[in-house]
Amino acid sequence: MKEVLSIKGLSKSYKHVKAIRNLNLEISEGQAYGLLGPNGSGKTTTLSIVTGILRQDDGSFSWFGEDPNPMQRRSIGSLIETPHFYPYLSLVKNLRIICDIKGLGYSDIDRVLDSANLLERKRSRFSSMSLGMKQRLGLAAALLGDPKVLVLDEPTNGLDPEGIAEVREMVLEQVKTGKTLILASHILSEVEKICDHVAILKKGELLANGPVKELLTEDEIIEVSCADNGKLSKALQGTDLVSETSEENGTLVMTLCEGVSAAEINAFAFSHQLVISHMLSRKRSLESQFLELVKQEEE
Amino acid sequence: MRKLLHIEQIKLLNYNPFRITLALYFLAFSLGIIIYPAIDKQIPVISLSDVFRFPDVWLFLAWITEPYNALLALIVIMITTKEFNNHTFKTQVIFGLSRSDLLLQKLLLVVVLSLFATLLIGLTSLSLGLIYSYKLTFKIAMENTWILGRYFLAAFSYMIVGLMVAMLIKNTALSLLSFLALRTFLDPVLWLILREHDIKWYLPFRTITRLTPMPDLLELFQRKMNSEEAIDESAFDILPKGLDPWLNILMVSIYVGLALFFSYSLIQRRRLS
Repeated sequence: MKEVLSIKGLSKSYKHVKAIRNLNLEISEGQAYGLLGPNGSGKTTTLSIVTGILRQDDGSFSWFGEDPNPMQRRSIGSLIETPHFYPYLSLVKNLRIICDIKGLGYSDIDRVLDSANLLERKRSRFSSMSLGMKQRLGLAAALLGDPKVLVLDEPTNGLDPEGIAEVREMVLEQVKTGKTLILASHILSEVEKICDHVAILKKGELLANGPVKELLTEDEIIEVSCADNGKLSKALQGTDLVSETSEENGTLVMTLCEGVSAAEINAFAFSHQLVISHMLSRKRSLESQFLELVKQEEE
Repeated sequence: MRKLLHIEQIKLLNYNPFRITLALYFLAFSLGIIIYPAIDKQIPVISLSDVFRFPDVWLFLAWITEPYNALLALIVIMITTKEFNNHTFKTQVIFGLSRSDLLLQKLLLVVVLSLFATLLIGLTSLSLGLIYSYKLTFKIAMENTWILGRYFLAAFSYMIVGLMVAMLIKNTALSLLSFLALRTFLDPVLWLILREHDIKWYLPFRTITRLTPMPDLLELFQRKMNSEEAIDESAFDILPKGLDPWLNILMVSIYVGLALFFSYSLIQRRRLS
């Protein structure tokens, strides 16, 4: 897969605050890459640097294997934080400016406005738009010229539930067409629903990165009790039914391997002449895994 | 460049404060032209309409309309600071303009406004000259048109200083106040402090205003009276002399160059978000 964005040793400080520390990332073509982290973790700073708004203190980055230049940004659709346009201009005129910058004709404007559900308001001033509409216009502007790469920073920020659903739907549609997506978000479920790869940031440092399925999976954990917990635990070792077993207050807590159901554990115990007297399923949520990961690093 | 100009055109032609200030500039310009002949009727012997004749009209109009350039500088300040306040510089960079392009688009705007101001004064001078002149030959009519080049440089310089102030301060109200303070307070105060020294002629705004200096009204008066007798010019020593015209132009060019370099460094370093 072709390299789209490569970040090497990127660092940025604001006076005494280190916003990013020695960040390294590789994003390839066709990936939907999430930058996940709590507020102040350096997501926006990273995207601001790679889109030319900020200058890094140290490190480098390249787009499509080349040193950054304005021409590359014309082939990327970006939405960084809240979209900013000329408040006194209509939506169409604002998008005409973007088309002129990108060297595009105006024929694509109606299409992107339509996809953002703003076609009827095309003659309205930007200042008269609600926050949700502004966000959708920002997304529409990013889609002008049908770019192969989208860089979106908190695209659902400040939106009501309906607006969040609409914007997510728009982004998902773009991902389905094979576009490369770089999405910064502090909302775990958003990254999980949209992205296939994720980098977890905290206080400007990269904690972990890799496929979402590997980093953030909803493990199924069950509590089991039987007449002889030790025997069951021993029997399960070496099988591909559980990945982890521990004992808590006279109960076995086991993490099931992918695709294994609680019924299979029951059948396994029965085949070893062990009758299960207590079984409780408890799922470890993504949220708890994410918090665990962030907490581990603190320790 | 055409692309950048077109972008500026979309932004400005729909921006009311720009349209209003430009209309004010036009109004102030036109009112000046209407009012001077009206005053003229009340002054005997020396007719002010004499200065509306070729070839003096070029120099006279360039001199009296020079302060209006400050209004053009205010337009540039307003437009540039709004880009910072609305975060639209940031948007333009995200979508593919370089930081140098941001400065270049404002520079193109300054050139267009300078051309507009020069064209306006050129056409007005030509019209008044055609109305008021007794003798009309092509040579006399075109005699002092070189002042238009200097007028262009004066308008350009004013706006470049305004652009630099806007890039430095970013806030609209503070930038406007700072520019006006520089023009109407700091420069005159420095002039007073340095009045005994020749260095006073090197003050930036002084060199710009001296691009279109007060025409030699004394000579005009002499011609009007058709006097054979030479007037004792020592009585008019109080008239400002200033730097040699070419040295003055060189100084203005240096100041403009410095202001542009400073603006360029600022836009390269400024945080746009």
